[in-house]
Amino acid sequence: MPVSKVLTRGIGQVDLRDLKVYRRRGGYRQWKRVITELQPAEVVDLVSKSNLRGRGGAGFPTGRKWGFLPNNGRPRYMVCNSDEAEPGTFKDRMLIEETPHQVIEGMLIGAYAIGAKQAFIYIRGEFKRGYEVFTKALADARDAGLIGEQLFGTEHGVEITIHRGAGAYICGEETALLNSLEGKRGEPRLKPPFPAIKGLYDEPTVVNNVETLAFLPYILKNGPEWFAQIGPPKSPGLKVVSVSGHVKKPGNFEVALGTTLRKLLALAGGPRDGRKIIAVQPGGGSSACLFEEHLDLSYDFDTMAANGTMLGSGAVVFFDDTTDFVKAAHALVRFFAHESCGQCTPCREGGHWLEVTLERILHGGGLDSDIDMLVAVARQLTGINLCPLGDSIEPFLASVVKRFESQFRGYVRKRAIAV
Amino acid sequence: MNGAPKEVTLTIDGTQLTVPEGTLLVEAAKRIKTDIPVYCYHPKLGPAGLCRICLVDVEKTPKLQIACNTTVGEGMVVHTYGPKVEDGRRAVLEFLLLNHPLDCPICDKGGECDLQDYSIAYGQGASRLADPKEIKPKAIDLGPTIVLDDERCIVCQRCTRFDEIITLEQSLVVKDRGQRDVIATATGTPYVSMFSGNVTELCPVGALTSKTYRFKSRPWDLNRSLTTCVQCSAGCAINVDERHGEVLRTMSVPGDDAVSEGWLCDRGRYNVGFYSDPRRLTSPLLRRDGEWVQLGWEDAIDLWARTLHEAVDSAGPKSLAALGGGRLTNEEAYLIGHVFRALGCENIDWRTGRQRQASPGPRGGTYADVESAQAIVLVGVPPAQTTPIMSLRIRKAVSQRGARMILVGDYALPIRVAHERVARPRDLASLDLDRYERIAFFWDGIDPRVGSELNEFAEGLAEGRKIFTYVTGETPNARGAEGMGLVPRSGGRDSVGMLAAARDGNLRSLAIFAANPVLHMPGGADSVRGAIENVPFVVTTELFMTPTAERSTLVLPARGPFEKSGHTFDVTGAVRVLRPGVAAPTGTLSDLEILIALASALGVDVPGPAALHRQAALHAPWVARGFGDPALFAEGELKAPRAGAKATGLRLVIAADLFSGGGTVYHDDRLGELRPLATAALSEHTAAVAEVHDGYLVDIVAAEGTLRGLVVRVAPNHVDGTVTILEGLPDAPASAFEGGQTVALANVRAARVPVGVA
Repeated sequence: MPVSKVLTRGIGQVDLRDLKVYRRRGGYRQWKRVITELQPAEVVDLVSKSNLRGRGGAGFPTGRKWGFLPNNGRPRYMVCNSDEAEPGTFKDRMLIEETPHQVIEGMLIGAYAIGAKQAFIYIRGEFKRGYEVFTKALADARDAGLIGEQLFGTEHGVEITIHRGAGAYICGEETALLNSLEGKRGEPRLKPPFPAIKGLYDEPTVVNNVETLAFLPYILKNGPEWFAQIGPPKSPGLKVVSVSGHVKKPGNFEVALGTTLRKLLALAGGPRDGRKIIAVQPGGGSSACLFEEHLDLSYDFDTMAANGTMLGSGAVVFFDDTTDFVKAAHALVRFFAHESCGQCTPCREGGHWLEVTLERILHGGGLDSDIDMLVAVARQLTGINLCPLGDSIEPFLASVVKRFESQFRGYVRKRAIAV
Repeated sequence: MNGAPKEVTLTIDGTQLTVPEGTLLVEAAKRIKTDIPVYCYHPKLGPAGLCRICLVDVEKTPKLQIACNTTVGEGMVVHTYGPKVEDGRRAVLEFLLLNHPLDCPICDKGGECDLQDYSIAYGQGASRLADPKEIKPKAIDLGPTIVLDDERCIVCQRCTRFDEIITLEQSLVVKDRGQRDVIATATGTPYVSMFSGNVTELCPVGALTSKTYRFKSRPWDLNRSLTTCVQCSAGCAINVDERHGEVLRTMSVPGDDAVSEGWLCDRGRYNVGFYSDPRRLTSPLLRRDGEWVQLGWEDAIDLWARTLHEAVDSAGPKSLAALGGGRLTNEEAYLIGHVFRALGCENIDWRTGRQRQASPGPRGGTYADVESAQAIVLVGVPPAQTTPIMSLRIRKAVSQRGARMILVGDYALPIRVAHERVARPRDLASLDLDRYERIAFFWDGIDPRVGSELNEFAEGLAEGRKIFTYVTGETPNARGAEGMGLVPRSGGRDSVGMLAAARDGNLRSLAIFAANPVLHMPGGADSVRGAIENVPFVVTTELFMTPTAERSTLVLPARGPFEKSGHTFDVTGAVRVLRPGVAAPTGTLSDLEILIALASALGVDVPGPAALHRQAALHAPWVARGFGDPALFAEGELKAPRAGAKATGLRLVIAADLFSGGGTVYHDDRLGELRPLATAALSEHTAAVAEVHDGYLVDIVAAEGTLRGLVVRVAPNHVDGTVTILEGLPDAPASAFEGGQTVALANVRAARVPVGVA
């Protein structure tokens, strides 16, 4: 079967926010089929066979995640994570703003599959337009009898509730999101217990990314084999990739995993005239940089991991030869330090320390010893926090210090000359 | 949940040990006396996983693990030291100390600071920070008791978790995030809690300190003694820290799981300044022609003994009476009965306030039983006002077991938890309590009619159920006084009867031990004062010249609870031990010593010290037949005189404040803001109807008279249609009023007065 776009199909051509348009193109048929014809376990089975891996960042197999829920007779919850805030990522924003109904349909199918009667969508606070579009779409779907109790003449039903974030990157971490959803301070929970055992309101909960859920109607429609045979077998399927940085036409591109980075660069219009791409961050602000020699690597979860970085949420940022990597490193470190919730000592103190050190280097106060210290401190704060935010600092910083050490030394030398 | 928990065998630092499944590594290590450093973890608060100092190396796990949230596993091999572990801890400590001010030389925590200790054990000598440290506020006033030094804070969140998990008050939170985060109240209002002092002990660094102890001492200069707090009847174990004869602070006792669970209320913790107050009495004083003259101890005791003999000779033993307050030890309570009964006197009573009964009857429960209750019924003054530590157990039952909370009467709950409310015990019948197997009943011990109604209800449920009863009254060691026989027997008069007899001129001599009936006895200060003045010879043993002492003939300087040894019963009837923790002022004697001297002068034999201790400690506590036991209410009329309610409007509620009282609180200058104002508390609705606002001044008009100049306090937790005043305030004595009657607000003025913290 030829590979073609599914999630982004029609965007910019028709108004997919319109329920009628969405239904005319086959929307909500899979939801009706699932609820009237399939058992939840069958849905889980189909999704497992598709080998769909989470599109939010960690790439965990979705079917396996669903399988962790205990059979304890307690209420369960499906939570859609739309707190997209990873630097460089803007695909979920497009999905909820442009095609809210496929996200709703995915949430309904996912909720049904795990036996949840209630689903929540946690929308990043800054996504005002996404929130408005989604709210309208939800009301339309409810009026059309697609959401609520006893749907399509069955005993089953799913309700969806929207919750808006208040501007914290950390709430994209699933347990911080759950705390925030409960009205508590948005900080990650200690694990174990994991959300599958004790999640929202201490009940079994699945948190899935917007894009992950949006794929469900298509996997059910085309069959799991369709999805599983796209791209590399262990990392299959389509992916909406946000491409930005020093490219002519930044944007979201839905591609088959296994595409090369060079192809993504071409999709985004290529480098600026007369410029050369010298580095690329393939998986958002938390990922380590790859360099020009890596542009022909296959863009998939496992290849990225094998090369010391990650696919993450699918945010590809290209850097050309005009880049000041000291400034770039400072911008990202400042972001993570600013967004640290402050619970864990290494992340709270270490991130801030790196930020002030980089700031000093940028302002001409750098010491020779600073450069080794930056790498050492970033290493020291990694792997000992209760969530991955702190661990997000080291990959980019360490990779660019190693590759572009001369730029960092240059700042320090400037100071030496001035002195 | 059947059978014994599964056991798991693991190895820590080469030592094999077997512990129950689910044990945390940090707790397992304690079994082999291995100390794993912790900041955020606390056994009573559970793991938080924030500080990351408790890193240990678990074989077959690549990364270091936090011991506070890793449970033991079969065959697990754990190393709590070694290069890998020590490097992890060094890293965490480097981060913790990065912006820490290192002002140890002027920090109150210096010498008992976990940050100091672990820095010495695991830290590195020098910091790699090349930039200036972050400057943060140094002395943030969090409320009447606590000061925050934000630079020292390591954000372990013990304080906020205590306020959330243990007290359920949720007023302390972490504000802002990352490096900018700071401990504060969510609403920006002062941090007010009757358990606030505990956060200073939980704080592993010097960030949270007590106003009463800031910059007072170094821990190594303090002498510590373990005793029992006698500020209320809870019976908490308490550590007294003294230097040069002055009690500088008190600390909780971590192993006191039977009672306090290692917490203290603020009254017990902070009301210790009175011990070294210059107003302490240090010499017997005799009133002669309206003037106080100093007297030697021997002369004082001889005078007293002679007067007693003369009274018995001239008017018979019925002309004698003895009152003993709740600060007495069991030995002292026992000796009062022993000495006065030897004279033939049966007019003996401990009830010098509103509380009329101490023993809860044969169904009395323990502290642990409270936690197991599925339903909790609070009748009258809630335990939070009288026995704060008991209220923490109740909160535990509510938060951990989802116990149903039911209030009887008009009293406000200090925290916001779901509860139901009925007017009288008999109304409990409508609540389907029979579906629970374990029910705890708390009664304030004040109104016998309420007590016996409650008793009837509880007994009706007892079949096939566990009923736990508690009398959480306001009088400390009331249980001991009642158990040791400080109650009238064989036709003797109780306290109300004694005052009636005094008024009628039938008492020749009255002895008052460690009590202040002028302030606390129902009937009103004027009435009690008048009765006392009508007795030719009144002896009072006291620490201070209280309103009662002022009206006495002979005042004997006594010793406080931290200055003597003995035993008490806690509110559940368990024996607690008092040991002296600070030297008493010269010239004072304990009530025990006074009683022995008196007995000797009277020619009454007393048991030797060993026999006395044995008798008092092992004396089976006297057990009432239940709430409102008629045996205790022979005199019947216990209430304030009631002239018939003619005022209209609001129902009067007489509550106790943690810091009510005219004795130890009144004479403790360190307490400052904690001393309650005379307030009239109303719900928002009631205030709106009555057209009064927070901070207004009002008078309360009742049939018995008028209480003037009360500050209006509008609080959401009060029952509509009621007005709550505080008892035990020397400036606005509420003892003349009876709770539950209808009163009116009068003379409302909008005058704003400096208002303390509610």
